Amino acid sequence: MTEKYVGQRMTRTEDPRLLTGQALFVDDVEIPGMLHAAFLRSDYAHARLRSIDVSAARNRPGVVAVYTAEDMEDAWKPCPPLVIPPPTVKGVLFHARTQVPLVKDKVRLLGEPLAVVIAESRYIAEDALEDIVVDLEPLEAVVDLEKALEPGAPLVHDDLDSNLAAHLIQKKGDYAAAREKADVVIKRRIVIDRCAAGAMENRGIVAYWDEKSQQLTIWDTTQAPIPIRNGLAGMFGLSSHQVRVIAPFVGGGFGPKVMMFYPEEVLLTWATLQLGRPIKWIEDRRENFLATTQERGQVHDAEIALTSDGRILGVSHTFIHDTGAYDPYGLTIPLNTQSHAMSAYDVPNYYSELKVAFTNKMIVTPVRGAGRPQGIFLMERLLDVAAKELGIDRVEIRKRNFIPPDAFPYNHEIIDQAFAALVFDSGNYLAGLEKAAAMIGYDQFIKEEQPRLRAEGRHVGIGIVSFVETTGVGPYEGARITVETDGKISAATGVGTQGQGHFTSFAQVIADQLGVSPRDIRLVTGDTSEFHWGTGTFASRGSVVAANAIHAAAKAVRTKILKLASKVLEAPEEELELVDNQVRVADIPHQSISLGELAVMANPLRGAVEPGTEPGLEATAYYGPQYGATASGSHAMIIEVDPETMMVEIKRYVTVEDCGTMLNPLIVEGQVHGGVALGIGNSYYEQLIYDENGQLLNASLADYLIPTASEVPRIEVGHEETRSPLNELGSKGAGEAGCIPVPALFAQALEDALADYDIEILEAPMSPNKLFALLQGKEKE
Amino acid sequence: MSDQFPVTVTVNGTQYERAVEPRLLLSDFLRHDLGLTGTHVGCEHGVCGACTVLFDGEPVRSCLMFAVQADGHEILTVEELGTMDNLHPLQEAFREAHAVQCGFCTPGFLMTLVPFLEENPNPTEEEIREALSGNLCRCTGYQHIVDAVKLAAEKMGA
Amino acid sequence: MKIAGEYVFNGPREQVWELVRDPEVLATALPGTQSLNPVSENEYEGEMHVRVGPVAGVFSGRVVASDEVPPESYTLTVEGKGAPGFAKGTGHVQLIDQGDGTTLMKYEGEVQIGGRIASVGQRLMDSASKSMIRQGLEALNKALEARVAAKSGGQEVEYKPPSEAEFAAAVAKDMAGEVLLSSRLIWIAVAVVIVIVIVAVILIGRGG
Repeated sequence: MTEKYVGQRMTRTEDPRLLTGQALFVDDVEIPGMLHAAFLRSDYAHARLRSIDVSAARNRPGVVAVYTAEDMEDAWKPCPPLVIPPPTVKGVLFHARTQVPLVKDKVRLLGEPLAVVIAESRYIAEDALEDIVVDLEPLEAVVDLEKALEPGAPLVHDDLDSNLAAHLIQKKGDYAAAREKADVVIKRRIVIDRCAAGAMENRGIVAYWDEKSQQLTIWDTTQAPIPIRNGLAGMFGLSSHQVRVIAPFVGGGFGPKVMMFYPEEVLLTWATLQLGRPIKWIEDRRENFLATTQERGQVHDAEIALTSDGRILGVSHTFIHDTGAYDPYGLTIPLNTQSHAMSAYDVPNYYSELKVAFTNKMIVTPVRGAGRPQGIFLMERLLDVAAKELGIDRVEIRKRNFIPPDAFPYNHEIIDQAFAALVFDSGNYLAGLEKAAAMIGYDQFIKEEQPRLRAEGRHVGIGIVSFVETTGVGPYEGARITVETDGKISAATGVGTQGQGHFTSFAQVIADQLGVSPRDIRLVTGDTSEFHWGTGTFASRGSVVAANAIHAAAKAVRTKILKLASKVLEAPEEELELVDNQVRVADIPHQSISLGELAVMANPLRGAVEPGTEPGLEATAYYGPQYGATASGSHAMIIEVDPETMMVEIKRYVTVEDCGTMLNPLIVEGQVHGGVALGIGNSYYEQLIYDENGQLLNASLADYLIPTASEVPRIEVGHEETRSPLNELGSKGAGEAGCIPVPALFAQALEDALADYDIEILEAPMSPNKLFALLQGKEKE
Repeated sequence: MSDQFPVTVTVNGTQYERAVEPRLLLSDFLRHDLGLTGTHVGCEHGVCGACTVLFDGEPVRSCLMFAVQADGHEILTVEELGTMDNLHPLQEAFREAHAVQCGFCTPGFLMTLVPFLEENPNPTEEEIREALSGNLCRCTGYQHIVDAVKLAAEKMGA
Repeated sequence: MKIAGEYVFNGPREQVWELVRDPEVLATALPGTQSLNPVSENEYEGEMHVRVGPVAGVFSGRVVASDEVPPESYTLTVEGKGAPGFAKGTGHVQLIDQGDGTTLMKYEGEVQIGGRIASVGQRLMDSASKSMIRQGLEALNKALEARVAAKSGGQEVEYKPPSEAEFAAAVAKDMAGEVLLSSRLIWIAVAVVIVIVIVAVILIGRGG
């Protein structure tokens, strides 16, 4: 019988290349005659550019060119916005202001590029940066979200009359009425601050315009090569077929590498068109902190109304979202916050007022989680406060409010990042929570272990939270699959890969349809000349949208194979099976033909073909979901805190994930581990610290603490599976799930560990310093 | 052109003679002058460990060294550990345990682990995690890497 | 970043006042100063090589003295920028005659720092700036002592300002020394506590 590959814990096909240092990353690209770029970046977060003199830099030996905004002339313009706010939401106010390739009149964020030097080596280019004389007149910066919206605040964009970038209200039901009926109304202020994605590979670009062949080739650490190709072609008057964007192996994406168009992407392209030589720019780590996008900053004033037995009647919040100096990514992140603020619960009334503020800080675009962690943090914290006030156990209060398994598809009515009403496709949240509670031994810990440890004077706490995650959003992806004449399979899809194992998991999907081993499938991702249409890798959509396009294309090829083989083997299609790279008649194995031979036959060199026949055994297919699939899960952890040093030790960490059908459980677990690790960073070790002048004070890995193997515990992963009814594979996304609930979990567990201090944690990230400050205000009870 | 200094260095068993600027980083020398791009650069300030190579058998951050400091010394990079058809047991273990996701930090981990396993052929989980605490990974959460080290210890002890 | 402190100069107030207004002395007291030239009565322009941890480079800028009440007090406004970033600050300096031939200098001010030096040198900023100020004041004090001796002895006295290397070493030692000093203190404190406990036990034992 044919082996089923989907669902197998297959090791990855791409690993040997990565393990032996033979994989191509952008900085590995070497082209004869290649030049190197370095950017002069502003040391001020808000300043007027009075003058810039690059003449000395131009005269330095080894420098080929130095460009400022003036040099670009008509080519200088703000980059196109990526995501236009949904017309589906009534009454939305949105001011689109996008980043510029080089500063022309005003600096709006620290590190904004003022000039670019192109030289024989990066070393010389950086030397030349010091030759440039810049006259910047510092202006007062806006950094705090609330101060930014106060009248009289310094304006980030002078053509607007405030720093309000957007305003939007969403409602479900009638919160005011619900509030009247409530037995308990809890109000809290919740503050969340910025973190960096911190991929191990910094960004980089090699851009090469070959004048003779009129071809532009760009290697870019992007998660979205096709939109980059389309945008750059459009910007510079080239056909999309003249431009090839390659995202080779990329050392981690996590969101900011999808943000396009970075000034560097535009500048390198423009510069190579001027010089006709390949140019490379690789970001260094400090630049990464200054020049690559960040996320998470929000301030919420929130309310939850409940009955005395803990049933949520409604949630209301007004919040300010920090978009930084520009807002190219529209409202995606705060819409995600709104669509996750009700989380896995049946909340009949919801009111949300969103204001987006411009600040003199780095641009905000999605970082793994993309606004969902904030929404989950909000709901889980409010529920935990309610649980304490009402004297209800935290697991119990969640059980009382979950959307029941028979209520799907569940329509939340509000608009989410996909510009459509938020509908949850399937899920069993109760099962997920109960499994997590069982795995960590919640009841036994609360009743026996914790009291015993507390009697010894130890501060040990347990936390357990639930979450949902919208994934697999459209619009679409595509794939093309070809049977080659040697019997192996070639496939291509438009998304890129930054470690998610697509080369293996997608091959597993193809293998199931075509009866070949996944190892015989050569898959290409992230190369626009191999596949022309698509969007990119983000929003946990690869295993949903791209995989289903692959599945559809594989089925189409299978149909062609069977049709042709039926003629060749003179047997009806129903009696044929695809096994071991061949087509054979079931029960008569010697009546067979290899796929390779069949492929040759499908592409004759002579003779006539039937009208309507397509050559070869190849098919291209696209998949676009009706709406995004909703994954879910529960995380639980036991943590010990030392109230003198504030150091924490995670004793146990348990996750239960429901991402529908798992293409490759080994890969899913890896994604969960990585997500949790990032979540732990977001909870206790990482925070981007800006001072009141917009200076980033911890722009290095020495001061921005990414968790190491000593901070991340062993993570036990459990699974629930509610297939998605939205696609044939039944899959939901899994890329971001690991990190989404972690800050909420940390807050709850730390409060529990320090129960004798009776603190309330309403901000994320926490840190040893912040915890210390909280404990200072409190006497031990 | 600024001063160039002659440097003779043995990398992966081959002796190279080059003239380099004194400020040329060892990581840049290996990657761009010698074309050995398996060693990666993540931070250039000695924190992430992606640039780890063996310098006379000891793991060092090549981003914190100059090429001229390697004059007369021996360097081993990840390219020497194994080939795609003939993986080192440590690389095999990484593959089996799914310890690689984006692969950018991987060479740094491997070169840190080679001397570690020589000195600690039977490490505990805690010893492994401490040994790896100088290498950052943003993708894996470290667990599968730790599993891979245990697996490698078994393979190499056998 | 707030800066505040005190320092005692071994000399009379009038001479201290002259000294801290003398650009040649100032230029040598803070090694790394590559030039310090008066632009007008109260304004100087200069260049200074600065190192804070891994970040080093040349700052060029202006120093303006204002609100002068000789020989009691004045305000210094400093503005500098360069490859390492920028710094802008204002400080008030008070000179108090202690009546015993020494002068107490009190200073307090605020500095805004930005650019590379702020984003990568943050942890070192506080101790580095304190140390640099102290080292600088000590060098000034030595220059003062030389002048006082010269005045009374009627001849030039050798005053050798510290070299840049010596200055850097002194700052580094300072910053490391803070750690060592505190650990030395801890040992002394522990020893004292042990002695007290032993004595207490003996006394109680005797009493019981």
